[in-house]
Amino acid sequence: MPRQAARPVITRLLQRGLYGAPLAAVAALVVGPLAVMVMVSFWTRTGFSMTPDFSLAAYSTFLGSTRLDILFRSLWVAASATLIMLLIAYPAAFLIARRVRTDAVRTVLFLFAVPFLVNYVVRTFAWTEILGRSGWVNTMLLNLGVIGAPLDWLLYSQFSVYLGLITAYMPFMVFPIWLSLSAIDPRLEQASWMLGETPRQTFWRITLPLSLPGVFAAALFGFVGAFGEFAISTVLGGTGYQLLGNSVISALNVINYPLAAAISTFSVGVMGVLLLIWFRVFDLRLFLGKIMGRT
Amino acid sequence: MTRKDWSRLEGLINADINVVAIGNSPSAVVNQLVAGGGRRAFDVINIVGGMQQPLVDADLILPIEVDRLSHWDANHYIADFLAPGTPGFDFIGYQDTVYGVPTVLQADSFAYLPDETGELDSLGALFDPRFRGFVALEDNYTTAGQKTALYLQQSGLADIDDPSNLTPGELRTVIDFLIEKKQEGQFRLLWSSFEQAVQLLVSKEVHVMDCWEPMVIVANQQGANVRYAQPSEGYLLWAMAAYIVNNPTRSEEQLEATYQMLDFMLGPWYGATITDMRGYMTNPLAADFARESDAFDQATAERVAAIDEDVKEKFEFGGTWQNRWPDEVDLYEEEWQRFKSA
Repeated sequence: MPRQAARPVITRLLQRGLYGAPLAAVAALVVGPLAVMVMVSFWTRTGFSMTPDFSLAAYSTFLGSTRLDILFRSLWVAASATLIMLLIAYPAAFLIARRVRTDAVRTVLFLFAVPFLVNYVVRTFAWTEILGRSGWVNTMLLNLGVIGAPLDWLLYSQFSVYLGLITAYMPFMVFPIWLSLSAIDPRLEQASWMLGETPRQTFWRITLPLSLPGVFAAALFGFVGAFGEFAISTVLGGTGYQLLGNSVISALNVINYPLAAAISTFSVGVMGVLLLIWFRVFDLRLFLGKIMGRT
Repeated sequence: MTRKDWSRLEGLINADINVVAIGNSPSAVVNQLVAGGGRRAFDVINIVGGMQQPLVDADLILPIEVDRLSHWDANHYIADFLAPGTPGFDFIGYQDTVYGVPTVLQADSFAYLPDETGELDSLGALFDPRFRGFVALEDNYTTAGQKTALYLQQSGLADIDDPSNLTPGELRTVIDFLIEKKQEGQFRLLWSSFEQAVQLLVSKEVHVMDCWEPMVIVANQQGANVRYAQPSEGYLLWAMAAYIVNNPTRSEEQLEATYQMLDFMLGPWYGATITDMRGYMTNPLAADFARESDAFDQATAERVAAIDEDVKEKFEFGGTWQNRWPDEVDLYEEEWQRFKSA
């Protein structure tokens, strides 16, 4: 008897170990560094070293300087770029989900993944070859007689930063939207048509609302990427196009870890608020369940 | 330097040389030494000097016992340009103690495309409205910022006592000037990598660029016609320094090998090789060695001698010594952010 009773206990312990290991790994690799970052943001800096403390000096420096403008700019750039990316990614995902033959969907999705095979910094640098004064676009337009002089605004401008952000993050956004659209029960749309709704009304009242969890997931991917971006703004931004990521690196260059941590903590807080909104508005389990073929 | 080149040193000492790139910004160096386990991993770091204060304060480097370096006394560039009590000493020493072995000396100005701009001989070209939209600066307040301060001082446009160590008021004046020029559209971009800077010159995206001389050498090798200016206001002077990392596990035998390596880097073969590769002045023995040794052909030896003479003249002409760690370093960073985000 005692031996038989021990078996379920051992099984339970093994199960807990099996489930607990990934959780412990997440805690150690994600939550741990985040906790250290939050902690350091309250430390004081004396010359080259830091002292454990509970000081708001780094936050005061962050919010009382030009970095506050950089924060607002980053929020605006990330939000507007995300909106533009959604306007491109949604139709692309819709076409893949509804117009592309089932046997070709995998190939089309693979094509959206191809850019990720090249390092994104290299891809970003490639734009300077394409958009520069003597780049491909200007050369072509000059040769065709469309323009009389190279277009300066193509590169090192607001335009090139947005182009870099869109090409870097928009492909990420196609996948969750496609997943969301693919998971919609076609009978719901058929019922809408049978009840007399036009295709446009069906889209606005059935398809779009049901795909919103995927849209918000996509928006989150795009926003988080754009908000923390630093390479695209450095390479394509011209005269010091500053986003929050650039500001963090700049603080690190003078070994001001509390300030870098305070900026990072603040941005993680912004992301946290967005995630909370997502959880409040959409049921994440429902979204994931649909993706995995469950209801 | 490729690893193969170090075989010459490995043949002299009983140790393997493993060269790793660690970056040059203060944070990159410190992160490697403090957080990245670099104190145990590295024996020597060879970076742009002037980092002694933060490195010594954090106990990351050791003083140099110059008596253990046979080439030290023969290198009269140290006495000429890096002697205690002169601004150059700040590149190798801190509080009267030597911490760095000078491996490279150089005087920076700016590059220009003479076919587009004509001959230029003033830092004012960086701010000249004739080149509006065709100027690039380095994204670095200790180079671009300091050259701007030197220009404003020398041209009498601002009252600046020492361009290498600006007071808060002077710094704001310099940054306000840069912001004014930026908003007028003077600058095409701030560059941040070697390859990017070379490409900007080769593609003629910019015609005037605050940069390092090796970029000009590489751009010309790629077919461009680029010159490195001799500005009337003077140069941005700097030196690379090799520091001994304060490695707590290093044995006396390994320390001896480390000193042999530093002595090799002060020696003529290493000096001539670096001068040939990068266009930097290294040590006074290099040019003669290149001329007399079989290790270099005649054309290379002449090039090494010419570069050595050219950089030496620039040092004699003078300018401002780059300051990697000014007193108001946090304010420099903050103000540079203001310039960039304006």
